Amino acid sequence: MQQDFLWTLIGFLLTLLVFSYLLGDHFLFRLVASLFVGVAAGYAAVLLIYQVILPRLIYPFGEGGALAILRAIVPLVLGLLMLTKLFPRFSRLGNLSMGYLVGVGAAVLIGGAVIGTLSGQLRASAAGFDLHRAALAGRSPVGALVEAVIFLFGTISALLYFQFSVRSKNNPQAARPPLLEAIASIGKVFIAVTLGAIFAGVFAAALAALIDRLDFITEFIFMLVF
Amino acid sequence: MRIRSPLVPAVTIAVGFVVLLGYFFPSLLVQNLRALLIDWGVSLAGVAALVGILNLVVVHWHKANDKENRSLYSLLLLAAFLITFGVGLWLSPADPGFQHVIIAIQVPVETSLMAVLAITLAYASLRLLQRRKGTMGTVFVVSALFFLLFLSGFLPVVRQIPLVGGVADFLHRLPVAGARGILLGIAAGSLMTGLRIFLGADRPYNG
Repeated sequence: MQQDFLWTLIGFLLTLLVFSYLLGDHFLFRLVASLFVGVAAGYAAVLLIYQVILPRLIYPFGEGGALAILRAIVPLVLGLLMLTKLFPRFSRLGNLSMGYLVGVGAAVLIGGAVIGTLSGQLRASAAGFDLHRAALAGRSPVGALVEAVIFLFGTISALLYFQFSVRSKNNPQAARPPLLEAIASIGKVFIAVTLGAIFAGVFAAALAALIDRLDFITEFIFMLVF
Repeated sequence: MRIRSPLVPAVTIAVGFVVLLGYFFPSLLVQNLRALLIDWGVSLAGVAALVGILNLVVVHWHKANDKENRSLYSLLLLAAFLITFGVGLWLSPADPGFQHVIIAIQVPVETSLMAVLAITLAYASLRLLQRRKGTMGTVFVVSALFFLLFLSGFLPVVRQIPLVGGVADFLHRLPVAGARGILLGIAAGSLMTGLRIFLGADRPYNG
């Protein structure tokens, strides 16, 4: 019971220290930020050691068979080379590990972008034109078609907004062609609508957290007083 | 002129090529090789994350030991790190007591930071409305207010009104168009970044 009260008191104090940021970025907030980063880094390091490094790189040498050892030896060597990145004099030795990681990362990035995003989003854009499905869902086919056209235009115009490269030949001011500029400016409106919706989502989540904390503070004060 | 070893780019391109091949060719050999290479990559990513944390500790160790400008914050960060790390190694992260202490510190701080974000966001949006009175600022603020209204449970009520309900539903789905454009842009950018690495034009591993 006393221990529970102690941790609630610590939570209360930490909450007040973080809220002190509303009075400006000062000593108390930086203290709690440093504490938080230290604890989070320590916890992350412990998790990495227990859940990645020990079971994948160390335990196979004690418990696993020859195949497990063979599977663990390459990442172990690359991992040891990676540790040299901590020492500037030997950091070049870690380039091979970094290169391996970048190669795998780039391939996963390309695969994810093509299969997960490009293909998925293009298919979703085309699905809007499936009027049969719209009719089955109880929507007017004409309305669904108009919506699909608006959405497609919004997608293309938003995408064109991010096209900043222009031909420099006979174009001293490096401006986009007028048609492209007009479509891109409509795309900007679609992007603003999307960012507004994202902002509203983040704000609603943050507001829920604010209500939770204020509730916690009032409950704790009531518990102390009564 | 410094000549760089071709070994690292060769390993990067070869490993990336095999992993990428696995996405498009269902051959068992390629799939197994890809799984093995990604598995090694996961182990290596774990070590890389640990190196990142150790680097953070080293940077704060130097700051805490700086005789001219000793940082109290770095000292506190190091103490918090060492205590958490030491106790975590000793008890293991699955220990209920250790978990309880971590949650008792992390949850109030994280939730409070999120709560402070609510106030900061409200303040920032008000300033945006004051300072940038252009079309885009207005569209952004109107959209944000509109979706806040929707998120507050307003949509199911509006849906009941015959014509307005359809328009409200359409407006509720409208951000999908812009989001799709942004996602496609990100995917195209990721594709280009990946291809530049494979072609050797970008070598972010040479440090």
